[in-house]
Amino acid sequence: MISYLANPNRYLKLSKIVTPFIGWATFLTLLTALYYALVKSPPAVEHGQSVRMMYTHVPAAWCSLLAYTCLTVASIFSFIWRHPLADSAAKSIATPGLAFTFLALITGSLWGKPAWGTWWQWDGRMTSVLILFFIYIGYLAVWSVVAERKKAARLASIIAMVGFINIPIIKFSVDWWNTLHQPASISSIGAPGLPVEILTPLLLMSLSYSIFFMWLVMKGIEKDIRNIKKRKSIPSALTEVENV
Amino acid sequence: MIYNAVKRDLIIASRSGGSAFHGLIFFGLFISLVSISLGGTNDVLNPLSPAIIWLAIIFSTMLSYPNIFQEDFKDGNLLQLKLSGMSSLDICIAKSVSFSIQSIFPLLLSVPIAAILLNMAFIDIKKILITLIIATPGLTVYGVLSSAIVAKIRGGTFFIVLITSPFLIPLLIFGLENMNSATEIKIFTTELRVLIGLSLISTAIGLPASAAALNTNME
Repeated sequence: MISYLANPNRYLKLSKIVTPFIGWATFLTLLTALYYALVKSPPAVEHGQSVRMMYTHVPAAWCSLLAYTCLTVASIFSFIWRHPLADSAAKSIATPGLAFTFLALITGSLWGKPAWGTWWQWDGRMTSVLILFFIYIGYLAVWSVVAERKKAARLASIIAMVGFINIPIIKFSVDWWNTLHQPASISSIGAPGLPVEILTPLLLMSLSYSIFFMWLVMKGIEKDIRNIKKRKSIPSALTEVENV
Repeated sequence: MIYNAVKRDLIIASRSGGSAFHGLIFFGLFISLVSISLGGTNDVLNPLSPAIIWLAIIFSTMLSYPNIFQEDFKDGNLLQLKLSGMSSLDICIAKSVSFSIQSIFPLLLSVPIAAILLNMAFIDIKKILITLIIATPGLTVYGVLSSAIVAKIRGGTFFIVLITSPFLIPLLIFGLENMNSATEIKIFTTELRVLIGLSLISTAIGLPASAAALNTNME
């Protein structure tokens, strides 16, 4: 199945059919999720109306981690089998991943103000998400700086894999540092104790975020393959000019 | 083979007319700038002095990271080493050893002087030296990795800082936490052991990864 789809042309054909479906699925799930989140969900006991912030914040944070995992898988494929489609996938996963991380940081900050009374707190989770944000930037910087595509893909995949091993270590060390510095750490709402009417919109939102992420990635791969084809056709155009 | 490559690096560094001291001078400048900006009183500086020294070390090693591979790439020496039968992993090991000798070792030697300038107690100087020595492999290997990745990019210093900073955070955290928890009697604290682990992990991951990056750049 994977090796069948690994052909860029076959992928383009399939993507032409599947991607619009995923796009519509995103739209529909997002609409339902928003209805549940904004209308049906009751205000939380502790947080009041600002609990609705959670429905955008938590899925974004989850998706940022999901994106990094996908990025690593794509990087492993690209590093071992040197497959161009895996390169495109890794590249088009990283950009939405960076966007989700940024979204998680921004919404977290906006939520932090009413909930904790501060825009930013150097607590374990926030700090590690911020570092994840910088790792994404470093990854994308390599893509943008190295001119040769194959080299860029390989170097970027090395960074992604080293980063994947390092992220748990960074997370662990930041937690360690944080518990030493702030014994009265602020904990968010306990996940196991969430009531159903809040959990439903949250899960729906996460679902729509994941589908949206999938749509972005598929669109990104499609565009990337088109770009490569366009770039390949430029030299031939030049030779035509020379021949004339 | 590795020994010869290290020796060559060191000879080149000794003949380079002072560029080997750039990191050292930066270290001194950084510490004086921080002391001036913090007001220069001992009450403020003393509790912060380990953090200042750690930051100075990290920034001045980052300043020397680009030198690891860039020159040798430009003049083709790396390709020559490769052609003479040295594997990329060997090159990376040699570069790590020579980098820690020529860039980190002088910094470690100057740490006691900086510590005196910041009025640190003797026991604190001992502690910070131990943690820095243990963190040296980590500091070195991530530098070799990032330098191997950006070896062909002009003006790659910024990218080196961008890539290495996240990886150096655990070293920084545990190096500084060790300052709080270690005492005269109890030197091998949990933090120090974690730091040893971090250095070992970084070597295990970083050296093969930098060899792969080097191979990619030489393809």
